[in-house]
Amino acid sequence: MSFLDHKIPPVREHRHPETALAHGGTIAGHGRGGLCGVSPQASRSFTQGSICPLLPALGIMCSLPETVVILHGAVGCGTCAAGNNTNVRAGRASRGAPGSDAMWLSTALDEISVINGGDGRLEAAIVEADRELSPRVILAVSGCLPGVIGDDIDAAAARAQERVAARVLPVHCEGFRSRFMATAYDVVYHALGRHLLPDPGAGGERLPRTVNVMNVGSMGLADEDELGRLLAELGLEANFIPVFAHPGNLALATRAALSVSVCPTHDDYFLRHLEEKYGVPYVIKHMPIGLANTSSWLADVGQAMGLGREAKRLAGREEAEARRALGEFREAFRGKRAFLSAGEYRSLATASLLRELGFEISGIRSFHFDAFAEVEMEKLGRGEDFVFNVANVQPFEEANLLGRLRPDVFLGHWHGNSTAARMGIPSQVMYNGGYSYMGFRGAFDLARRLRRRLAHPQFYQRLGRYGRLPYRGEWFREEPFSHIRTTG
Amino acid sequence: MRRVSGKAYIERPRWTCALGGALAAAGNMPGVVPILHAGPGCAGNFAWTNNGSAGLNVTGGCLALGVPSTNLQESEVVFGGLDRLREEIVNARRIMEGSVFLVLTGCLPEVIGDDVGGLVDELAGRRGGLAHVSVPGFKGDSFLGYDEALRVIFEKVVPRSGKKRGDLVNVWGIPPTLDPFWRGNLDGLIGLLGLLGLKANVFFGPRASLAAVRQAGSAALNVVASGLYGIQAAESFRERHGVGFVQAPLPFGAGASDRFLGTVGRALGLPARRVRGAIEAAGRSHYQYLEPLIDVYNDMEAQRHALVIGDANYALAISDFLAGDLGWVPELVVITDDLSRERRESLLSFHREAGGIAPGRLFFGHRAGDILREARCIWPEGDGGGYRDPRSPIFVAGSSLDRDLAARLGAGHLSLSYPVANRAILSRGYTGYGGGLTLTEDLIGAFIAGR
Repeated sequence: MSFLDHKIPPVREHRHPETALAHGGTIAGHGRGGLCGVSPQASRSFTQGSICPLLPALGIMCSLPETVVILHGAVGCGTCAAGNNTNVRAGRASRGAPGSDAMWLSTALDEISVINGGDGRLEAAIVEADRELSPRVILAVSGCLPGVIGDDIDAAAARAQERVAARVLPVHCEGFRSRFMATAYDVVYHALGRHLLPDPGAGGERLPRTVNVMNVGSMGLADEDELGRLLAELGLEANFIPVFAHPGNLALATRAALSVSVCPTHDDYFLRHLEEKYGVPYVIKHMPIGLANTSSWLADVGQAMGLGREAKRLAGREEAEARRALGEFREAFRGKRAFLSAGEYRSLATASLLRELGFEISGIRSFHFDAFAEVEMEKLGRGEDFVFNVANVQPFEEANLLGRLRPDVFLGHWHGNSTAARMGIPSQVMYNGGYSYMGFRGAFDLARRLRRRLAHPQFYQRLGRYGRLPYRGEWFREEPFSHIRTTG
Repeated sequence: MRRVSGKAYIERPRWTCALGGALAAAGNMPGVVPILHAGPGCAGNFAWTNNGSAGLNVTGGCLALGVPSTNLQESEVVFGGLDRLREEIVNARRIMEGSVFLVLTGCLPEVIGDDVGGLVDELAGRRGGLAHVSVPGFKGDSFLGYDEALRVIFEKVVPRSGKKRGDLVNVWGIPPTLDPFWRGNLDGLIGLLGLLGLKANVFFGPRASLAAVRQAGSAALNVVASGLYGIQAAESFRERHGVGFVQAPLPFGAGASDRFLGTVGRALGLPARRVRGAIEAAGRSHYQYLEPLIDVYNDMEAQRHALVIGDANYALAISDFLAGDLGWVPELVVITDDLSRERRESLLSFHREAGGIAPGRLFFGHRAGDILREARCIWPEGDGGGYRDPRSPIFVAGSSLDRDLAARLGAGHLSLSYPVANRAILSRGYTGYGGGLTLTEDLIGAFIAGR
């Protein structure tokens, strides 16, 4: 029985039991099998606020066209959609639909619903949203509160479905269910896979040149254009799903010849489903960030499509051209020390790119750790050793580390750069939908932006003089990982 | 929060929950460290909310992902979260710089029944500096959370003081970040009260300090610059510290500032001549700044028919400014808060009594579809046949969520009220006489960009 036959999707804790959230060590030894002391049981005796699966899930859900997202929870749960909406507007504008906001609603559960249950509220909200807003899809999303008061959102969605024209998809985003925000991708894929895909065989004939490229919320149109360009060189057509994808493109995915991941820890849940149920084979190994990584990514796609030689030739040509172009940056980057903090694959793959550019890596903080990482860590483990820390941001630990390592540049996740910036370290956001990072041209573009940042660090220098961090001086004299404990 | 609109959902909420409001208050008070006892994503949720709502203000102090948080998981939901909280408080005191730690409880611990009050009392002991604010999201909106955080601070952080300082006035009613211009607006009030020789004690932002917060009990008066926000805290303050309060609308521009100074002067029993003198002097200076604009303002007919959309503070403050200072026509004012009938009535009667100007049409609601329907009562589709007064040009003074509406009406637009996604706001504010000049600049700037 497939996971998708169940109403509630599994959490990463169950599906990938090695997944860890807390670790402090170095890269040495990683990538040769074994987990090198990274323990899924490890936790912290002091934690700062973080991101639950709802947040990245909303990033995907708000981007879907003709879709209304209903947050079933207290009124604050999911107001972060206001932040997602800035990305949605930019993403839609770049795709030719300027000025359009996402549509998110809240059932705004109150004390009465906590006592009497909120299922009825959700059902009524679905019916009212269908009548008032006429969307094609309604996502009924559960936050923490319905999960703890025992609402059955699947039953409420099923009852509402009888009364509305839109397709109603229950989505389980109870934040306390999983420590790992990577669960977000699974819960969204779970909902889309269960409710929006056609029956096997019903979608139409196989499309022999179509490749599903699983985009992630952290990539924008510039990255899609670059990957689409490379696939087109091989005579292939990219079908980007699920972010910003129209329901029609999701259906198309079941007829594609191949699916390829750009972020392995993001996609395995859905790729397996597409293969098991629709016979779409998949490639999941490399992230196309960095020259060698992009070449490997391209070669894997080529091989799977029977275009192995063509893909290798294309990769060789593109990589050589990019390396020539990047020559002008080598002097500026030589010996500069970079520190990275972001999602697991993103940070590891970007570190490989930075090494190609001439940087030294002084440390990597990965939001979580799982077996997918070993491919990338094996590549990185071959060079000089450096700090490897698993942390879902936890800026106190980061501040302590940065105080010791004093890197020349910091690369962080969206909303993860303010600690380094306040310490006077030039900071470069490691993803933002408006910019280019992936493929050969993304490598060049990131290099160009890094050079600009390093050559003009005045904003950060002044911040370093006057910026304030909220920690006591004593904390900086303690060991950075002193709040990580390896037993539950 | 009891849904009073009778509707099944809130559309794109123009506020967040009680926890978010309390966090915005505690996190922006110098020397105070909030500790969230809540789900793992609450802090990130508020950070991303601010990204799209608060004029690009996200981080600072220990806000955003820097706030200590227990990040409750399934095991704590099942077995209780007090052990985790105890450890978190002990370590937060060792790591975080601050003198006062406020434990803010979200939905999860409140439903599972953690006795947070008991634990906080135990850990506070004689040392103090630790208090609990119960602000689960299901209890209410961010305005309630702001009020509740202030109430606890007044009760637990501000010591009683027998001696009162005649010139010291505490000022609140402007919730940090929920008012995207909160810092500038507080600055404006400091300046305004300074005209009467008063020292304004504000609790949030760069002009505040914990030492000043602790002196709040010796103030002569509390001024709440709001029709709704912070009233509960003011009542509790009066009871505990014996300091009365006066309410005045958020004073945007000259007319409202005149009335604000009058209200405060009367409440303190200041000599009427002194207050009148201050108002006269401020007015003269104000119009020296405004005078050079007369030619172009007049000749371009910069008068507009306005649709104003905002929360209880902003909607009426903007409308009063447009009508009273600029001579615009507020055709429709939309108040977006989800308010009970009693609170709506109390807000409106407060506004009337404070000398506010009644708009052409008033609507309580927040959904884009409902606001458009109301607007269509004034501005119907089609040209109406040539000799109907089109009540144009139209200007929408609202939030960044109202851009689509403005485009449909063929109207100009400026984001003023929460959420403001498309402006960077640092020190800008609209309170006081100078604030009115800034608001004039911004409004006119919004429709002459192509000049």
